Amino acid sequence: MECKTHISVRDLSVFYGGAQVLNNISIDIPDKKLTAIIGPSGCGKTTLLKSLNRIIDLQDGVRVSGQVFVDGEDIYDPKVEVTHLRKKMGLLLQRPQILPMSIYENVVYGPRIHGVRNKKKLDGLVQCYLKVSGLWNEVKDRLHSPATRLSIGQQQRLCLARGLAVEPEVILGDEPTSALDPISAERIEQRLLELKSQYTVVLVTHNLRQAKRLADYVIFLYLGNLIEHGPTEQILKNPKYVKTQNYINGEFIEELTIDKELNLKATVCPDNFAKAKLALEELKHGQVLKIVVDYEVAVNEVPKAMEFEGHKVLEIKRINQKDWEILIQKRNGVYTI
Amino acid sequence: MNTRKFKDVVAQKIMFLLCIFVVSLAFLIIFGLYHRSMPILAEKNLKDILFSAIWHPAQGQFGLAGFIVGTLWVIGIATILAVPLSILTATYLSEYSHRRIREYIKPIIDLLAGISPVIYGVWGVVAIVPFVRDYLMPFLSEKMPFFPFASDNYTGFAAITGGIVLAVMICPLMISIIGEVIRNVPFEAREASLALGATRWQTVKYVVFKKSWPGIIAAIILGLSRAFGETIAVLMVAGCALNFFPKSIFDPAYPLPALIANTYGEMMSIPLYDAAVLLAAFILLIVSILFNIVGWGILLRIERSQS
Repeated sequence: MECKTHISVRDLSVFYGGAQVLNNISIDIPDKKLTAIIGPSGCGKTTLLKSLNRIIDLQDGVRVSGQVFVDGEDIYDPKVEVTHLRKKMGLLLQRPQILPMSIYENVVYGPRIHGVRNKKKLDGLVQCYLKVSGLWNEVKDRLHSPATRLSIGQQQRLCLARGLAVEPEVILGDEPTSALDPISAERIEQRLLELKSQYTVVLVTHNLRQAKRLADYVIFLYLGNLIEHGPTEQILKNPKYVKTQNYINGEFIEELTIDKELNLKATVCPDNFAKAKLALEELKHGQVLKIVVDYEVAVNEVPKAMEFEGHKVLEIKRINQKDWEILIQKRNGVYTI
Repeated sequence: MNTRKFKDVVAQKIMFLLCIFVVSLAFLIIFGLYHRSMPILAEKNLKDILFSAIWHPAQGQFGLAGFIVGTLWVIGIATILAVPLSILTATYLSEYSHRRIREYIKPIIDLLAGISPVIYGVWGVVAIVPFVRDYLMPFLSEKMPFFPFASDNYTGFAAITGGIVLAVMICPLMISIIGEVIRNVPFEAREASLALGATRWQTVKYVVFKKSWPGIIAAIILGLSRAFGETIAVLMVAGCALNFFPKSIFDPAYPLPALIANTYGEMMSIPLYDAAVLLAAFILLIVSILFNIVGWGILLRIERSQS
């Protein structure tokens, strides 16, 4: 894509009724990079993201002041055609929102409403973007069955294909992996990493490890204020401001000391639970257990079981084709940090 | 047992009995109507009654076809007018209007539902009857002198007058149910569509209606079940000509509820007269119960699938 995307936010403030959610944000979002917006809940991450494509207008009683320039044009100018603006930005929501139609219809929905009628071209778009989102092989034989029958992870990838089918320049993601199981989440992350060479990606995340894995550039918001922004390494390793330091230290430990390792490869389900549980019992509160599993069900179920026991799952990461690494921090009963 | 406790037990028992009494009323009415309309079914074939248009009680002829067709005309016209009106109003209020405007308009629409039917009847006679007589009927009947329009009834008291009045009467209920159903469509579904650059109308057409059509159907059915039973307003404006088989929207219609209200209690000495009218009431009751069950059934199902 040769056209140059440029998003710059100038003095953006957003109010819901009387409450101010964003306070004088000014920032340039780098092109063809993955930018992560981080910060504690309720700090305005989603609001900032949604003000980039004016989806925020849909909320009742919202007032926006300041400017957002996309391709040099202030999108809050009353003359701007909001449908054209939104066409430039694909949006991924927390929970995938499937339109009530078939898989094929979901992908062509965008192109169709923008006036593409040619059947061949639409077929081509469907194939192309389902491949980009990594869904083609799973659904190519049932393109015309209802999209609601897909699993939630597949639905999110379908949403990605649908967003890409209108040929946007920017991809906006509002915690797009937070409702997904680890394997589906990993697939979405892979797609986003592949796409960032062609698109400007802006991602809201509360997961600092995800930000570290994916992002080139990080924006830290705190109670509606922009505290700090910069390249990922700099923000996560050497934050300048105390607020950023506190948040990062509270949420995430840069160098994890692993107190115990357990190899659960080739162990089936009730067994690996029991072994992980026994191993955790030997640890002290706050210590970290690393387990390695190679079984898809285990990747989904072991972390769930451990969280149910009250422990904290710090990270689930694919380490090679088959194996996954799960880091669990021991928590003693009701006592939490 | 102390008095405090005794009073509590008595109060509970009395309230239980009253509750049972109210519930049993429904069954008593159904059974009573069925029982009282039996004599005519014992003597005549149900098919003959339903498909004959001759109503001559003195000669023992009790054909209900004219009344049934009259009911269908009025209801059909009311539906054709009320459904688009309600769907589009509800859509405007839920999708387009500012919340403030909705808060002001909703009570006014609900007010329409509370107006007494007889007032609608008077309004029909004063406003709609002259409108049909002076403008609608001459215009349509002359321009298009064929099936649903051709008529020689120039009074203005016609099926379409009843239909118009009825449409206005069932609108508030339908608007409020359809609005509820549309607002139940998750906000994110609209967001997903709008984020792709769809306009509001495209979003409503392809996403909101598609997600809410079972509820919209249920609202229409519930509106219809109310329309079936509506008596006084229709009776005042629809013409109510006996022994007249309505073939046009401008012909006078004599719907079943109007028949019952007009004739029951008079000339009871004629054999089977009483049973014939009560059979009409029984048919009306069954139809509106069926409509209610289907309508609420769909709505309950939607509610359950969403929770």
